[in-house]
Amino acid sequence: MGRSLAAAWPWLLLVAVALALPALLALIPGLASGYVLYLVALAFIYAIVALGLNLLIGYAGQFSLGQAGFMAIGAYVAAILATAWGWPFALTLPAAAIVSAAVGYLLGLPALRLTGPYLAVVTLGFGLAVPQLIIWQDTWTGGSSGLHSIPPADVLGVPFATDSQFYYVALVAVALLTLFAARLVKSRTGRAFIAIRDSELAAQAMGVSLIRYKTLAFAVSAAYAGVAGCLYAYLLKGIGPEDFTLFLSIEFLTMVVVGGLGAIEGSLLGAAVLTALPNVLTRLPLVEEYKNLYVLVFGVILILTVIFMPRGIAGAWRSYRARRVKAPEMAGQPSVVKG
Amino acid sequence: MEALATLPWGQLIVNGLALGSLYALAAFGLVLIYKITDIINFAQGELGMVSAFVAFFLITAFQLPFILAFILTLVFAGILGALVERFIVRPVENTSPLNPVILTVGIGVLLVGLAGTLWGYETRPFPAPISGPALRLAGLVLSRINALILVVMAVLMIGLYLFFRYTLVGVAMRAVAQNQVAARLMGISVGRIKALGWAVGTALAAVTGIFIAPLNYLDPNMMGDVILYAFAAAVLGGVTSLPGSVVGGLLLGIISSVAGFFAPQLRTTIAFAIIVLVLVIRPRGLLGGRTVKKV
Amino acid sequence: MEPLLEVRGLTMRFGGLVAVQDLDLTVCDGEIVGLIGPNGAGKTTVFNCISRFYTPTAGRIVVYTPTPTGRTPHDITRVPPHAIIRYGIARTFQNVELFRHMTTLDNLLVGQHTRMTRGLFADGLGLPGARRQDATATEHAEFVLDILDLEPYRDRPVSSLPFGIQKKVELARALVSRPRLLLLDEPAAGADTGETGELTETLRHIRESFGVSMLLVEHDMSMVMGLCDRLVVLDFGRKIAEGTPAQIQRDPAVIEAYLGEEAK
Repeated sequence: MGRSLAAAWPWLLLVAVALALPALLALIPGLASGYVLYLVALAFIYAIVALGLNLLIGYAGQFSLGQAGFMAIGAYVAAILATAWGWPFALTLPAAAIVSAAVGYLLGLPALRLTGPYLAVVTLGFGLAVPQLIIWQDTWTGGSSGLHSIPPADVLGVPFATDSQFYYVALVAVALLTLFAARLVKSRTGRAFIAIRDSELAAQAMGVSLIRYKTLAFAVSAAYAGVAGCLYAYLLKGIGPEDFTLFLSIEFLTMVVVGGLGAIEGSLLGAAVLTALPNVLTRLPLVEEYKNLYVLVFGVILILTVIFMPRGIAGAWRSYRARRVKAPEMAGQPSVVKG
Repeated sequence: MEALATLPWGQLIVNGLALGSLYALAAFGLVLIYKITDIINFAQGELGMVSAFVAFFLITAFQLPFILAFILTLVFAGILGALVERFIVRPVENTSPLNPVILTVGIGVLLVGLAGTLWGYETRPFPAPISGPALRLAGLVLSRINALILVVMAVLMIGLYLFFRYTLVGVAMRAVAQNQVAARLMGISVGRIKALGWAVGTALAAVTGIFIAPLNYLDPNMMGDVILYAFAAAVLGGVTSLPGSVVGGLLLGIISSVAGFFAPQLRTTIAFAIIVLVLVIRPRGLLGGRTVKKV
Repeated sequence: MEPLLEVRGLTMRFGGLVAVQDLDLTVCDGEIVGLIGPNGAGKTTVFNCISRFYTPTAGRIVVYTPTPTGRTPHDITRVPPHAIIRYGIARTFQNVELFRHMTTLDNLLVGQHTRMTRGLFADGLGLPGARRQDATATEHAEFVLDILDLEPYRDRPVSSLPFGIQKKVELARALVSRPRLLLLDEPAAGADTGETGELTETLRHIRESFGVSMLLVEHDMSMVMGLCDRLVVLDFGRKIAEGTPAQIQRDPAVIEAYLGEEAK
């Protein structure tokens, strides 16, 4: 019991800070705390997508360059249900998750026999097709102008309208989904995912159905992205097809790779770092004019990480700890490196 | 169904062939790199985009005639491709099946960012390589630039065929594509061939870029979905087949042209659908060879 | 002797190459049968057909499962590969196919995948049902680890283990699903004489204690002769002899297959 408490304290501290954040920020004079909370909420939303993507790539050994597509589906499902049919948040959120999961399952079917680069292209195509289809079906989706005036998220009748309020909705969502993912990877389902990644042959010989678990991995990662999309719609109060680009999908991939594949905390780290990045960059005095520098820096980060730090930050940290403590268990975490 | 009969088939096919030539060139480069280094180059489009920018500046800032700018740009692209392979891709080559994918995606992003930082994201018109009224043959209209594209494609394909068939280097490349170990044992410098493969592949991407630019506009994001079309063409023809990539490209161009008649806003979706259909129904494509998997 | 596995007329063709031709093979309850033959004779191909990684060009594979009243035959020739273990058939692989990034214990937990029933939500929510099943499975895994003296390696990532230990872990992983038939693909490969002797003893012990039948592919003759009740000899995909080890050792066709014409 003592050991698990010792391991858990960084998490508990994190949760405490997160809960107290709005109050803490209000103490800093001259700080637009609403905007900071908006950014943190956005980071939470991105972290949710990254968690799902990590389950797909880092644990189940599949791949996707199309998470923005699933996010779009979740966002639009929620937005349409909320604006056209007046559904409450408590219903639009699960609806977004279910529809995204179903589409994820469908995409997983042809992806069954595909590996690495082929999966990448198929999912990339999916990610490009979704916004196109959204624009095409403009009667429902508002086409290129998008959907606006999304009502505030209401939980049990209480509206969470401002950024400071919605922050808590996003916080609860990312906390619960992180717990779910963390439990999942240590469970039978999680082991089945890793088994498929490490040896499809042996996995089948042990009774793990590739069809079932691969499509499940796609469905789960799609559901995560769909939930994130729904939250995104409520946070921004308006969405458009240009919010869900290929670049966004690549950003999610980068978050997972930089944070660390196959490590839950890696997804959170990656999301935090990469959401902070553009905002920090544009505030640096030297590079002010080069707002476009973000894309360039981004590409450099991705390339350098793959070449020099393929296990990501979480992986590097684990290696470091293993070497220091000389612990026999450096278990579990795959890297992008090992084939 | 009768609507199909009223389509201007001839015109659609002619336009489709020109468009398809560009897809074929991009696909050929992609398949070449894949066959020689086992990597799907996700930066294929962006390499072409950067080359198009170089050509643009050679023409507008240095006032070079198109032909000269074209040739210089191809040389630039070749060098760029070789450098990328040697210094960025090679360290990561044998690590895992996912690393090269992520890496080449990163290269693509880097190139877009570089172009945007150096030259900005505004769109510019690209000077037309050829001007004059459209040609009319047998009741069909062929714009001059489409005609040029077809000619360039034909010349390049013949040239590449001769190159692979009759030159030492070309044969060496085919050897490496078939069996790296054996090629090495025969004294072929596999590393140099790989770099050369990327050089040729990138040069082909440059041709694609230079000819797509005048059709739309020049901007860092202009080749964003070219990888999808190139891959669709490659998959259609058979990812392991070089002639297949050409056939696939032309076919995709025609399909795209016809589909563009009905639903022009769904171009990318159709390319995606084609990829999925082919991979599900006939994964080896039209001309790809069958591989038997032994456990 | 009650039949457990029956292979009838198995033929496996890859394009123009015939890897296995018209093979009849039976494993009975409690038997240890050795499948031997020169390299390339098609032995692993037979295994891969039984495991359903290949679909036979012709022939049938039948498994008998016990019922309260007797035995039922099941035709598994076209069953999906992940269903084989549910018929009580577990296997090891020639080149160790452990789950590299997992610990020894986790490998054995995956081996019990089909003995647990909880799904996605029970797992993600950490429901008591899922936790209980995990605990039971862990206990059983530890029991098997103990039998094979693998306890010290319980929490080590398998990629860090020496090759010989990895092979034992694979055996443990196959055992942990409580199979009725073990398919062992070259269990003694890479082992020295001492280790092979130990392994032979262990396998015998497993058969005695758990009543597990075995079909093994093996090149090490000392293990084969010492362990197997019966041998089936393949050459170029065809069965050329069948019998007890003593009979096979004297069989001229077998001698010729292994040593060539000069032996005559």
